[in-house]
Amino acid sequence: MTQAVMARHAGEPRKERSGLRPGQRVFVWGSLIPIFLYLGVFALFPMVWVVVLSFFNYSPVRVGDGPLGLGGRNPFIGLDNFAAMFADTRAGQIFRISVKNTLIFAFLVLVVNLAITLPLAVLVESVHNRVKGLFRAIYFLPTVSSAVAVAIMWGYVYHPQQGLLNNFIKLIGLTPPKAWLTDPSAFVFGVPLAMIAVIIAYVWMDFGYNLVIFIAALQGIPHELRDAAHIDGATGWSEFFHITIPLLRPTLLLVCTLTMISSFQVFVIFQVMTGGGPQNQTRSLTMEIYENAFRYQAMGWAASMSLVLFAMVLIVTLVQFRILRTDWEY
Amino acid sequence: MSAVQLAASSSQQTPHRRRSARPLVCLLVYAILLLGLAVTLVPFIWILLTSLKPASEIVRIPPTFFPERWTLDSYRTIFTDPKVPLARFYFNSAFVAISRVLITLFTSSLAGYIFAKYTFRGKNLLFGFILVQLMIPFQVVMIPAYLILVQLRLIDTLWGLIIPSMVDAFGIFLMRQFISTFPNDLLDAARIDGAGEFTLYRRVVMPNLGAPLATLGIFTFMATWNDYLWPLIVITTHERRTLPLLLTWYTSQHGQRYDLTMAASILVLLPILVVYIFFQRWIVRGVALTGMK
Repeated sequence: MTQAVMARHAGEPRKERSGLRPGQRVFVWGSLIPIFLYLGVFALFPMVWVVVLSFFNYSPVRVGDGPLGLGGRNPFIGLDNFAAMFADTRAGQIFRISVKNTLIFAFLVLVVNLAITLPLAVLVESVHNRVKGLFRAIYFLPTVSSAVAVAIMWGYVYHPQQGLLNNFIKLIGLTPPKAWLTDPSAFVFGVPLAMIAVIIAYVWMDFGYNLVIFIAALQGIPHELRDAAHIDGATGWSEFFHITIPLLRPTLLLVCTLTMISSFQVFVIFQVMTGGGPQNQTRSLTMEIYENAFRYQAMGWAASMSLVLFAMVLIVTLVQFRILRTDWEY
Repeated sequence: MSAVQLAASSSQQTPHRRRSARPLVCLLVYAILLLGLAVTLVPFIWILLTSLKPASEIVRIPPTFFPERWTLDSYRTIFTDPKVPLARFYFNSAFVAISRVLITLFTSSLAGYIFAKYTFRGKNLLFGFILVQLMIPFQVVMIPAYLILVQLRLIDTLWGLIIPSMVDAFGIFLMRQFISTFPNDLLDAARIDGAGEFTLYRRVVMPNLGAPLATLGIFTFMATWNDYLWPLIVITTHERRTLPLLLTWYTSQHGQRYDLTMAASILVLLPILVVYIFFQRWIVRGVALTGMK
């Protein structure tokens, strides 16, 4: 051991470049080889396999004669799965509806979420330190709660007769909708009412994340900047739009990306609250993938749809990198 | 407009008076914050109160907010239901969550340490693979992951919920970032004292990882405890259900009995709320630090 230490000291400048001593080699590769063998099976293989599956008409209930159950009765069909996405069939239509729903959901969630969290973060940041922590802790509470329990809870909140929301609306003298989650003919600005209801429940559940991130970012803004703005005569509003928002740009970008990407993947709240109904108005892409893969066992078709989900996530991520690279504010 | 400008110009001269000079604004701020608080808490309070009502009071229209007669009947019904061995379901959820936490903390800290403190051939390539992993949503790879579990005969077992997520790319990334700031001198001093590399990891690195390990551990615990999609795919036997699965099953059995379904929801929410109350600081700080989602 001491010899190894001596050797290392003798070869100090070399060590940085050319890597490991024998003892270290055993430790590093002894640890990394199992970890990456594992990742090869549970991370790399699934990534490759989902692409392969998307070129097959594969179902696990049929036995193919090739490797891993492919071939034979699970035939290679080229790009047919992707062509089916644009075809005028029932499956193609529902797929397109689910993509549209997912995009509407993600976009509206982002807008509503930012409209709430950004001003709320400024307000929380402005109050006394002692209550600030309390507000933040309670606002964050829904995000740690079980999504299933929250979805069941909101299903009851939206109950047409017994629900909290409709009775509150009646209490303040307005006419509530006759059903929040099951009426296919109810729209608000062209968006199905059931979708609006799911968006409200989801934003309620999720806004704590962005709020906490924004509060942390606001605390990072140097006080000198605000003081300088005050001396120049900036009011609350102009301070918000000309000092706070520009300085929050990197955070804002991160938050937008994370919110978009996680909204693309929402499953529980749709599945439990509406089951995709009424008339597929709240069917999301992840629900569509889940149902085709595990209820109808159409895994080739579902694999090609999950590649579309991946493409959506990838596009948002790349756009973020692009903006970050071209747009250094400070 | 002019009033706002006036307020601004007065604050310009005496910045100390700014807060006290605008009690109305201050009041408005607190009013909005309290409204937000109410919107956040009222649904929770309402389902708690619903779970404490007798079955006859649930169906009343308009509903009561506070129970007219307080009762624990709904909880008693659930506890004595032979089809709902609650201890079993709590055990399932706890077993899966705690196993995943322990394994994730071990693999993340080990790999994070190696990527932070050692130089070797292929390091950038391997770490690049970890970064790519961060971008892949679970829903994209869940079909192959399921097929692998079928091959391994792990379908419908609790191990099937643990084994596919023993290495967490985000955990490795987080640990590497943290350990990078760790002073090399300390490691070298321990080496001179004759410590082997694994001893170094166990005795020197690990004891200094309290904060990030706590953060990663809590997040892994909550994510696993609340996970629904993967258990829904893997588990089919009733006794092996985790709590979220139990909750949707129970709701499907007792659709209109909101006293029962809300009591069941409270029972699922309660453990995670206790964890949250104890670790609230770590959790909120962790989110602020990492932008975790």
